[in-house]
Amino acid sequence: MTSAGPAANPEIQPGWRLRLPSRPFVRFLGRRLAALFLLGLGITFVAFVLTELVPGDPAAANLGQRAIGDPAAVQAFREHYGLDKPLPIQYGLYLQHLVTGDLGESEQSHRPVRTDLSEYGPATAELAVTSILIAYLLGITLGVVAAVRRNRLTDQVLRVISLGGISMPTFWLALVALYVFFFKLGWVPGSGRLDPGLLPAPHVTGLYTVDALLSGQFDVLANALQHLILPACVLAAYNIGLLTRFTRSAVLEVINNDYVQAARAKGLPERTVVLRHVLKAALPPIITVGGLAFANVMTGTVLVESIFSWPGIGQYAFHSATTLDLPAIMGVSLFVAVVYIVVNFTVDILYGVVDPRIRVA
Amino acid sequence: MSAQPLPLRFRVGFRRRPGTLGSAWSQPLAIAGMILAGAWLLVAIFVPLIAPYDPLAQSSQLFLEPSSAHLFGTDELGRDVFSRVLWGSRLSLPLAFFLVAMAVAVGAVLGAVAGYFGGWVDEVIMRATDLVFAFPTIILAMAVTAALGPSLRNAVLAVLVVFWPSYARVVRGLVMSLGQADYVSATRLLGASSRRALVVDVLPNVAGPVMVLATLDLGNAVLLLAGLSFLGLGAQPPTPEWGSMVNTGTQFFQRWWMGTFPGFAILSVVLAFNFLGDSLRDALDPRSSWAVQGRDR
Repeated sequence: MTSAGPAANPEIQPGWRLRLPSRPFVRFLGRRLAALFLLGLGITFVAFVLTELVPGDPAAANLGQRAIGDPAAVQAFREHYGLDKPLPIQYGLYLQHLVTGDLGESEQSHRPVRTDLSEYGPATAELAVTSILIAYLLGITLGVVAAVRRNRLTDQVLRVISLGGISMPTFWLALVALYVFFFKLGWVPGSGRLDPGLLPAPHVTGLYTVDALLSGQFDVLANALQHLILPACVLAAYNIGLLTRFTRSAVLEVINNDYVQAARAKGLPERTVVLRHVLKAALPPIITVGGLAFANVMTGTVLVESIFSWPGIGQYAFHSATTLDLPAIMGVSLFVAVVYIVVNFTVDILYGVVDPRIRVA
Repeated sequence: MSAQPLPLRFRVGFRRRPGTLGSAWSQPLAIAGMILAGAWLLVAIFVPLIAPYDPLAQSSQLFLEPSSAHLFGTDELGRDVFSRVLWGSRLSLPLAFFLVAMAVAVGAVLGAVAGYFGGWVDEVIMRATDLVFAFPTIILAMAVTAALGPSLRNAVLAVLVVFWPSYARVVRGLVMSLGQADYVSATRLLGASSRRALVVDVLPNVAGPVMVLATLDLGNAVLLLAGLSFLGLGAQPPTPEWGSMVNTGTQFFQRWWMGTFPGFAILSVVLAFNFLGDSLRDALDPRSSWAVQGRDR
């Protein structure tokens, strides 16, 4: 490789040049896309079956108390969903509605579920991304520490902490954290995304921090961050436990490989060996936990957002569940599941990019 | 899951040597988990004798702070929180055991069927597990419970729906890999019936991984059921249930004792099962355990 430069041998291309994706990779991508599509279809089927399971009259269950007394509304509902037609046709109609973005109408807000979701989406996205970042940062750090200090006291303590993280009921942690850090210590503002009286920066992404940064309103940015930090940390607890454990074993898998020994033998400081050589090799498998981490955060938001009055999808789901707002519940479930499989798909592809061996399997 | 056949060691039984179940008991974490879980089991059994008050009895003493008369204070209806927390164990623990047992049974049967027959049976069962895994657990459990109507029974059913697939997958994978393992073929060649091969060779090897998963799932079941009750979809008031008690606690935010103590109960039970499960994993499945040495490579 070193003797013949690229000019001497056009067959050998320098590694940094952007090349077209290779055939196996295209095939890998195609297979994953097909699987993603089928899974998406399966999810709609599950949601459809669940709405069919609702005992009693679906019109009564979906229209709520107010509209059920109105025969015209009931008739319109029946026709819209083809309730007098056989089930396969109903499913077809249901899919047709979904394709046009029709998720039904919420009983509570009397608005299309889609409108609700797009309004609450950014708040949850901001919270979820921040929380996952915190979890990865802390989880990987703790995991590396545990691996380096394996079988010593630090390691054992981290093991208990990691197990504690995955054993903690998130909704309880939220309650305790809010009581201590807001009510007792007053370190963080109480609820919502901004202090009352403060207006969010002009809407670009819907993420208050990013919008504030874009428009240069640093007081808004600081305030948004203060509101964000506690819920994000609470949501991160479970994932920190998970990632600590996962990083630890991923690091231990490679920590005594020959090339690591070689790096040590060269006389590199242990710090460089761990950060440059070990962590780099251990990272790809850690990426794969991303999907699971996302699922955990979504689970958390459903339980926690309402405690922090965080106006996101989780709070919407919580209120839908407590008021039995069926169209909203099904809409949220469908939406979250679709986002989840897309996240998993992305993680898969990323892993395929980072580790070519995966593409063959 | 590793494709290579599992070693024979689990067959020889419960001897105390590395890599067997016995070695789990020498770990402090396992002992801590055992003591904690045991204590909660005793509480669940002897609640009527231990609890100082009737968990449903209301009184005019609302929102009392924790004191010697009411260790965990009283709630918005003047009920003793300590007694309600203790009684909560009678709900969560048996339900968790029942749920996991059912999930293991359903998952093991479907997984074994899928692994043994293969073909379209396998395809159908595995795609069903894919579908369940396509939802974050609480989202699917929430949708199922909401569709069936909020009640403890339906919440249990919903948790069962989200729990069985992991067992189906583990058992399927093991049945498939073990079907080709040399020592299973050897048993068959010696003239043993396929039933004997299944019971004597395959089953004991499946038992280990399933047991690890089941112990960890005991904790997950408690968490998920409490979560559903927190959402108002599981246990209905006035039933003393930990998740719904924390929910009430969030409504009376400044009376910290109302939500804090039931939450502690959830945490301690789940922690106990996770301690046990993790130690079991160490003992039975050294590959994925915390005890990985990272030395003998």
